[in-house]
Amino acid sequence: MKRTSIVAPLLLIGVGVLFLARNLYPDLALVDYFARYWPVLLILWGALRLAEIMFWSATDKELPARGMSGGEWILVVFLCMVGLSVHTVRGFESWWPKSGITMGGIDLLGESFDYPIAAEKPCAKAPRVIIESFRGNARITGAEVATVKVSGHKTIRSMEQSGADQANQSSPFEISGDGNSLTIRTNQDHVSGSMRISSEMEITVPKGATIEAHGRTGDFDITDVSGNVEIVSDNAGVRLQNIGGEVKIDLRRSDIVRAINVKGPFDLKGHGDDVELQDMEGQVTINGAYSGVIQLRNLAKPLRFNGQQTDLNIEKLPGQVRMALGDFTADNLVGPVRLNTKSRDVRISNFTNSLDLTVERGDIELRPGKLPVGKIDVHSRFGDVEVALPAAARFDLNATTARGDTYSDFGAPVHTERNGNGGSVRGSNGGPSITLATERGKMTVRKASPDEKGFEPAVEAPEKPERPEAPERPEAPKAPKPLQKVEQ
Amino acid sequence: MNPGFLGAVRGPVMLITLGVLLSIDHFGPVSFGRTWPVLLIVFGIFKLMERSSARTS
Repeated sequence: MKRTSIVAPLLLIGVGVLFLARNLYPDLALVDYFARYWPVLLILWGALRLAEIMFWSATDKELPARGMSGGEWILVVFLCMVGLSVHTVRGFESWWPKSGITMGGIDLLGESFDYPIAAEKPCAKAPRVIIESFRGNARITGAEVATVKVSGHKTIRSMEQSGADQANQSSPFEISGDGNSLTIRTNQDHVSGSMRISSEMEITVPKGATIEAHGRTGDFDITDVSGNVEIVSDNAGVRLQNIGGEVKIDLRRSDIVRAINVKGPFDLKGHGDDVELQDMEGQVTINGAYSGVIQLRNLAKPLRFNGQQTDLNIEKLPGQVRMALGDFTADNLVGPVRLNTKSRDVRISNFTNSLDLTVERGDIELRPGKLPVGKIDVHSRFGDVEVALPAAARFDLNATTARGDTYSDFGAPVHTERNGNGGSVRGSNGGPSITLATERGKMTVRKASPDEKGFEPAVEAPEKPERPEAPERPEAPKAPKPLQKVEQ
Repeated sequence: MNPGFLGAVRGPVMLITLGVLLSIDHFGPVSFGRTWPVLLIVFGIFKLMERSSARTS
């Protein structure tokens, strides 16, 4: 009998597990994981094959002529192509060519060389500051000044000092433009070949400035600017605080977007992990796929959230919302609230006006809290539904489960009824309609005890923004001396 | 080492090497554009070992 490899069955099991995980947690960022870790699959595959052949060889079984069949190699090539393109599309470091192809593989690691950056230019009270696309981090601070001032350093990776010096000279740092519109240019693209340049910039601008920043990889940290802020980047973490104007952020990839105290409308789109917004005075619009934890609190204007699996509209959010994988918790909302999600356990407390909730799969727990209770419309395909109504509430309740138990301790006028596998909880004392429906799950209508608390979403108060004295910048490549000392 | 064993092991080892190089490309400082010759080297070493083991046997 021809011996077959165990890789194929394992592959099937793996694919099965992945699809199952995807079905159970649609928000799981599988594509992101794949984009990041797919080469590990190749290693695992090879290791399995190797172990197998070792084992066969040790037990004196007949060995196959070739360890990997032609078909398997084709599969490998296919996997590589998919992996590389997903990796690039998802906005990780663009893969090809990162640094040009170096024949012979001599120029392996190289060293980092640091050069100071410094420039200053006088400008008007409310200039437009444009930062041209660059690699590295920028920290922008508004202050009572009449100049745009940049300090920091440039890191060049090269084999030897002379090459780095040359690269430094051919990528001069400059601020151009007149007093009303300034452009900050790192000229990193003037250097090609195997050298990599990144810049760390501390930028001080007049308070009234408007910022327009483009980046390739690196973080933006913007504070105390009263104009508009626009950021476009392939891969960036963004932290904003005390912004007076409109904010527009477009990122292909980000680990965190944090904004505290923004006066104008806030518009975020792209892919990323965590989002934290707090004290926003304008309308908040979020479009895109965010797979980390999303925390919102104190939004004065409507929120429009359009995620991959979740749509959320709130008129106003004096309280807070927290969304994590498979979970949605919110407290103190002003409606109408509309939430449409695939797979999350939903807990909402203290909401006013109407609530419209559609959940594919997940338990739902509602505590309207405030009187009068608004119109509530809940649809769930799979999951328990529990509603705690205040004793004095007026409503017209119609709660049904197609399959599952029903329970009520509210007393008159609410009564339960069995109906085949399911049942209903109904009752009216002449208030707005409350419609609850689940296809499968337990239906519970409780009387809220007077001292019942709302859900406290575990919103970690955004840690003190890492400023002003925060020397730890991510991957600050062995700065030769403290940044402040690099005067121009 | 017998040639059959070497022939059988070659594929998996090449695959592991490829995976490691691509991982370094994604997580480490060196791009695949620079490290790819390692694949040639590994392949060459295998050919060399097969040659010598074929001659001795």
